[in-house]
Amino acid sequence: MTNIRKWIASAGAAIVAGMCLTALATAQEEAAQGPGVDHSECSLFGPNRDRHGASGLAAESRKRFRMSELTTQVVPLLAASKARYAVSSTPAAVSDSLIDKHLFTAMQAASVTPAPRTNDYEFCRRVTYDLIGRPPTPERLVQFVTNGDPNKRAAYVDELLTRPEWVDKWQMFFSDLFENTQNNNQVNRFAEGRDAFYKYLKESLTANKRYNVIATELISAAGGNSYEDGKLGFVLGGFVTGGPRTGQDIFDQLAANTSEKFLGIAHENCVLCHDGRGHLDPLSVWGRRETRLKSWQLAAFFSRTNHRRVVVNPPANPYYYAIEDNTTFRVDYPLNTLTGNRPQRQPLGSIRNVSPEYPFANGGKPNPGENYRVALARLLTADIQFSRAAVNYIWKQFFVRGIVEPANQFDLMRLDPDNPPAEPWTIQPTNPALLNALAKDFADNGFDLKDLMRKIATSDAYQLSSRYEGTWKPEYEKLFARKFVRRLWGEEVMDTIVQTSNIANTQLNVPSLGGRLPWAMQLPDTFRIPAEPLGSFLDSFLRGNRIEEERRLDGSVLQALNLMNDAFVHTRTRASGTGDAASLARQLLTKYTAISNNLLVNEMFLTVLNRPATEEELLTATSAFSRATTAATRQAQAEDLLWALYNKVDFVYNY
Amino acid sequence: MQNEKQFQRELERRPHLHRHGAMRPFFTRRGFFQLAGAGVTGSVLLDRPAFGQQVTRQGGKTIDKAKNVVFILLTGAPSHIDTFDFKKTVDTPLDILKPDTIKGIVWPAGIMPKIGNKLGEFAIARSVRSWALQHNLAQSWAQIGRSPAAALGDIAPNIGAIVAVEKEKDRVPGQVFPTFLALNSGAAVGSGYLPAAYGPLKITPAVAGLPDTRNTDGDTRFNSKYDFLQKLDQPLRNAAVSPYGSEMAGYDGFYQAGKAMMFNPAVDQAFRFTTAEAAKYGPSGFGNACLNAAKVLGARGGTRYIMITLGGWDHHTNIYTALPPLAKQLDDGVSALIDDLKANGTYDETLIVIMGEFGRTPGALTATDGRDHYIQQFAAFAGAGITGGRTLGSTDASGQGTTDFGWSRDRDIRVEDIEATIYSALGIDWTSVRYDDPFGRGFYYVPESNNDLYGPIHDLWA
Repeated sequence: MTNIRKWIASAGAAIVAGMCLTALATAQEEAAQGPGVDHSECSLFGPNRDRHGASGLAAESRKRFRMSELTTQVVPLLAASKARYAVSSTPAAVSDSLIDKHLFTAMQAASVTPAPRTNDYEFCRRVTYDLIGRPPTPERLVQFVTNGDPNKRAAYVDELLTRPEWVDKWQMFFSDLFENTQNNNQVNRFAEGRDAFYKYLKESLTANKRYNVIATELISAAGGNSYEDGKLGFVLGGFVTGGPRTGQDIFDQLAANTSEKFLGIAHENCVLCHDGRGHLDPLSVWGRRETRLKSWQLAAFFSRTNHRRVVVNPPANPYYYAIEDNTTFRVDYPLNTLTGNRPQRQPLGSIRNVSPEYPFANGGKPNPGENYRVALARLLTADIQFSRAAVNYIWKQFFVRGIVEPANQFDLMRLDPDNPPAEPWTIQPTNPALLNALAKDFADNGFDLKDLMRKIATSDAYQLSSRYEGTWKPEYEKLFARKFVRRLWGEEVMDTIVQTSNIANTQLNVPSLGGRLPWAMQLPDTFRIPAEPLGSFLDSFLRGNRIEEERRLDGSVLQALNLMNDAFVHTRTRASGTGDAASLARQLLTKYTAISNNLLVNEMFLTVLNRPATEEELLTATSAFSRATTAATRQAQAEDLLWALYNKVDFVYNY
Repeated sequence: MQNEKQFQRELERRPHLHRHGAMRPFFTRRGFFQLAGAGVTGSVLLDRPAFGQQVTRQGGKTIDKAKNVVFILLTGAPSHIDTFDFKKTVDTPLDILKPDTIKGIVWPAGIMPKIGNKLGEFAIARSVRSWALQHNLAQSWAQIGRSPAAALGDIAPNIGAIVAVEKEKDRVPGQVFPTFLALNSGAAVGSGYLPAAYGPLKITPAVAGLPDTRNTDGDTRFNSKYDFLQKLDQPLRNAAVSPYGSEMAGYDGFYQAGKAMMFNPAVDQAFRFTTAEAAKYGPSGFGNACLNAAKVLGARGGTRYIMITLGGWDHHTNIYTALPPLAKQLDDGVSALIDDLKANGTYDETLIVIMGEFGRTPGALTATDGRDHYIQQFAAFAGAGITGGRTLGSTDASGQGTTDFGWSRDRDIRVEDIEATIYSALGIDWTSVRYDDPFGRGFYYVPESNNDLYGPIHDLWA
């Protein structure tokens, strides 16, 4: 705390006029230790885990979790860390919001003390990245920190939800989820088709279209031109080449995609080839009871769906697609083929065609005359699992871990706490009551994505510090007793460097969208866009390709090499330009004279890392400046400081 | 699995492991990376065994004669009958391909004369069949040695990433090169569920050397600011001190590895080259990659697995116009690579594998003077003490199918067998199973190796 006070004292009116000291009071002392909780059972692999346990894993299990290692290391340092990185004095109050009610009750029941409430700097940075994929500007940050309004965090969340950058970030998320890319292994949307899907998602988010409406539109979309009608993009992505002429491969793929993306049930894909028994037994109680016939009933909702190639003449591109119903395919899912991507589909007794019937929840069939896909959308969006899957996917973006993990591997037979599965299975969600309550709330509030995100971001649980005051145990992870750190996406890293350096990005050229985009988060694809060299820069942060590589959050040598040496970063550390075009380094060199290098340091910290420098950092940086006695060496030092901030680990992590 | 009939029977029992590409279940890798993503970064949240904590091995007797592997993937799928399994057809332009019999092998000396002169180095497997006829799928299949459509295929690492994990322990101080290097291979499969650190460093070789391993400010100023960074950031880079813990602190490991590669004469020596050096290899982009591979392996800087991609073989049209210049690139690059590996003393400890993802239709050309996708293919091996100057297995007169399997398992060779061969050559037990996969059900280096469904082609060394 002292460092912040000192900084405030020295910074004076420069950037923090009116900052309220009381908002930055000392860290609370917590009695951190409670009795241990019961050892958590593996929620995913059940008997398999026991098998490995028997072979020697159990004895060491406590050492096995990286996060447990890291947290035990925290303990001896609490005194030091408090001094350096103070947290808010406000206790982690248990609000009566449904998230907090469930999470804090669970922590209390387990006698686990949550991490303290995160401070205003951390909260402002964290929530800004999570909601809009960018850091706050230093002006907005200081305004936030110095604001005495007790409801300022909620107000800030509301503000972020109206920002255009919110649309950019969440189009990227949903484009990843729905695998919108120019080419997947089966179908070429072409740039026009991909862009149309991208624009559909952007427009839907801009209008805060309700998620059930988005799902309905995507599942039931029909239209003549995939270049112009973006909502065709999802069903188009389920096209499979080379399968039987009677279409079963496509119907199955659409069923698998729909199940994974909208219901979080990736195992449907397995069951489309064979009954779950003998295959999914160790993975899913639901899966091992599921039959191929039931999954065909799901696929049958797509059995009237036709992808028709429309060849353009003269061709700008070779073809686009029309998505139509009841044209080429006029019967229900036929069991009439020995060939295809999946094992043969042959009559089951007297059943030669499988009619659509929703295989989850309470079932349901198309009404007489009802379009099959419209019927599927109606039944699916009324299923609480649709809501569960959505809130879990979104939750994971904020908390880094889903309430159900993996987020696309729900086990429908292990979700009800009042009806637990037989031993050795355990309830799958780490907090089933929370998941169900959140899902119900999402549905009750009309599947309003912004409302869901507001509830998450304003919960006390989300506002816990990522630092834990006390002995952290791996079992606490499932309680969300602290915030987990997240390495920033490549797009977030790139856009942050552009925003904070004040040097625009002119290399994000997307010809199909008419030219240059200012921000990486606005890119319509993650594969071979933008052109080099920035494509490789983003790839090094493992953004995935939406085809076979998922976006990942781990580190790599290339990330470090890019941040240290790439021209994209290097040019942005330079003290170049004048006036509005001046880079951050130039602006600060001009704004502050050598006598107030400490102010320069602090403003650079505030701009790039969204917090004041700690006492040690300030000392290290200012003493480096003290050796820079000429204008040229001072400039070089400012550039090197900016470079160092872009290379600090707390730059590349949201924490 | 000792013969084709038994093998097919086994496959029937495990259809989803081996379904043909035209019959792809399309369980996208991406879909499963949601598991894998959790597996790596959030694995800790899943209560699964931590990385590398348990690996079981059944004790496969490995060849252990190679220290390195150069895996050359000819993407687009070369025509086997116009290259390594030459067959004369009604359309073969004999004046261009100039077939010649060298060491008993009929060889298109007109388009690949230099490799022709080195056939004594090569064992050419001709009883090789692909599972899939779709480019992306079959290319992934070749890189991961299993169906990308099978459950564990979806999270499977590149063979090179497994090599990187296994060979990590062999690194000695001062070795700063990446274990797994992917040259001209932007689409290479990555580290799968393994930490990204074991994935390929993907680069396009250039005269200027490894990108981003120099800082525009020069080494003096760079070292000074790097020291400054370390001092400034130490509280967060030391897991014993950082309040945010080891994941964030561990990020420093990537900085240390990156820094070690910077302004490093050994790196420059190995990764930079002159146009004169490049000329010997073509010059071409592929030649540059072969040159880079030779220099990197010669430097013994820790690189053990190099993947090189040479694309453009998808000759549906005008094959005899397009093939010769591409074959020349392969011919120039590979022959110079062998020369230089011999010169720098690493040839006998480096296994070279050359293959496409599948073959092309034999017989007469199509209406567009091309050849379409076909499952019969070839794989060529050199180096690492294999017995060269011969073929393994043979195909019928037109190259449509295998007539002689030519190896001990008495069935067609599959990419899984080639994968096992690579592991065995490197002394890695191909029967190994890791239990750190996100499914927690065990990741077999070679699928079904517990049932001996696939295994190494040790006949190469016979």
